[in-house]
Amino acid sequence: MISYKNVNKWYGELHVLNSINLEVEKGEVIVVCGPSGSGKSTLIRCINRLEPIQEGELVVDGMAVHDKKTNMTKIRAEIGFVFQSFNLYPHMTALENTTIAPLKVRGFNKAEAEKLGREMLTRVGLADRIDHYPAQLSGGQQQRVAIARGLTMKPKIMLFDEPTSALDPEMIHEVLDVMRDLAKEGMTMMAVTHEMGFAREVASRVVFMDEGKIIEIAPPNDFFTNPQTDRGKYFLQSILTH
Amino acid sequence: MLEGFNFRIIWEYMPLYMQCFAATLWLSGLSLFGAVVVGIIACAMRLSQSRILRSIAGVYIETIRSTPLLAQLYFFYFGLPSMGIMLPEWLTGVIALTLNSGAYYAEIIRAGIQAIDFGQIEAGIASGLSYIQRMRFIILPQALGNTIRPMLGQAIILVKDSSLLSLISIMELTRAGQVLTSERFTPAEGFLTTAAFYLIIYYMLKAFSGWSEKRLIFREAH
Ligand SMILES: Nc1ncnc2c1ncn2[C@@H]1O[C@H](COP(=O)(O)OP(=O)(O)OP(=O)(O)O)[C@@H](O)[C@H]1O
Ligand SMILES: [Mg+2]
Repeated sequence: MISYKNVNKWYGELHVLNSINLEVEKGEVIVVCGPSGSGKSTLIRCINRLEPIQEGELVVDGMAVHDKKTNMTKIRAEIGFVFQSFNLYPHMTALENTTIAPLKVRGFNKAEAEKLGREMLTRVGLADRIDHYPAQLSGGQQQRVAIARGLTMKPKIMLFDEPTSALDPEMIHEVLDVMRDLAKEGMTMMAVTHEMGFAREVASRVVFMDEGKIIEIAPPNDFFTNPQTDRGKYFLQSILTH
Repeated sequence: MLEGFNFRIIWEYMPLYMQCFAATLWLSGLSLFGAVVVGIIACAMRLSQSRILRSIAGVYIETIRSTPLLAQLYFFYFGLPSMGIMLPEWLTGVIALTLNSGAYYAEIIRAGIQAIDFGQIEAGIASGLSYIQRMRFIILPQALGNTIRPMLGQAIILVKDSSLLSLISIMELTRAGQVLTSERFTPAEGFLTTAAFYLIIYYMLKAFSGWSEKRLIFREAH
């Protein structure tokens, strides 16, 4: 579904993605972790070309993202992206937030889009908040609207960049619950997160990054109980003592 | 002080004033509409990826903002005909006011856009919305909402600036004061009446902005 072949990216001198090789199968849930600045966000932002890569091949659902000539609109329509800071449109209600892209990009008609939008908002537990504006919602609710916004596009892939890091502890679980349900329903997902409980429960594999490289790829239980590298051990210690 | 004030003359000239009031309204209204359109386009060019578009918009905005409106008006009034372009006076006036305020609107809208969190634009990109769609559905509605106050301020300036059109012999409110003054030698009556009509327009604009701001703030629910 997502295939990185020797992908490289630099910001000036900084080698943010260093020879990345990774194959993500349909229905897999990949959790990406690693220290700050290791390139986790960049890794997933390349998938819909929020960041372009400079070398290598990145193929998403059969489409060549590394090829400058590829029209990204179609690929982007297939991928939901959830940001750390929600990034909802503040002048639109929850429902309008979810329907704008289906209407304008997918070409759904208004009735279809609204039906789907309501369905997705209900699915993330916000049936009673459909006409609220983002400023009238808590952080956890806003992030769930953001997830519903992604889902209303009927995506094949969902990407999450630290979806719970901006939330108060008591709201984290409501967002993780939604993500857990998605994972169990077979959505292909890549999530940058340090929520180890979530990773243990639903991740197919954990990708551990440091300094732009993938250091380890392993099933969550193997990685958490028996990391193969010193950097992996050191990282796990640092998040456990936190 | 008001003893010598001749209300009868004002009454007598009221049809002229009403006609000129209407002229100021539609000349300013048309220019205002044009200026917002030009402002949106110039601003989109200034924020675009293309260096050429960016510099064209930059030169336009800088030139307008660093030269007096009267000079710009005279350029269109005397300059264009000498280059073989003949336009009716009212159109010359509207073009000058439109291009003048358009440059200010471009900057006002730019400030409104740059106040929008970049994350929202990224969210738009990630969902496949095109540049035009992001402008139309995400950026402009908010930028226009954020900038109602400065937009109104510029609209008031535009209405006041429209008095310069009297200098290219367009019949509008200031010109009405001049006519009354020169025909009856009553400058106090003439220009006070003119001022009163400008005040009416000012309050109309203010009421409109209060109304639209309330609606937008309600929509944003802050
Ligand atoms: N637009 C940019 N220009 C220059 N450098 C950048 C840019 N974006 C990110 N970087 C740098 O690239 C490196 C990797 O960034 P990235 O955001 O992918 O890290 P991350 O693993 O997601 O970190 P965090 O946990 O802090 O979110 C960092 O050193 C960062 O400072
Ligand atoms: Mg990050």
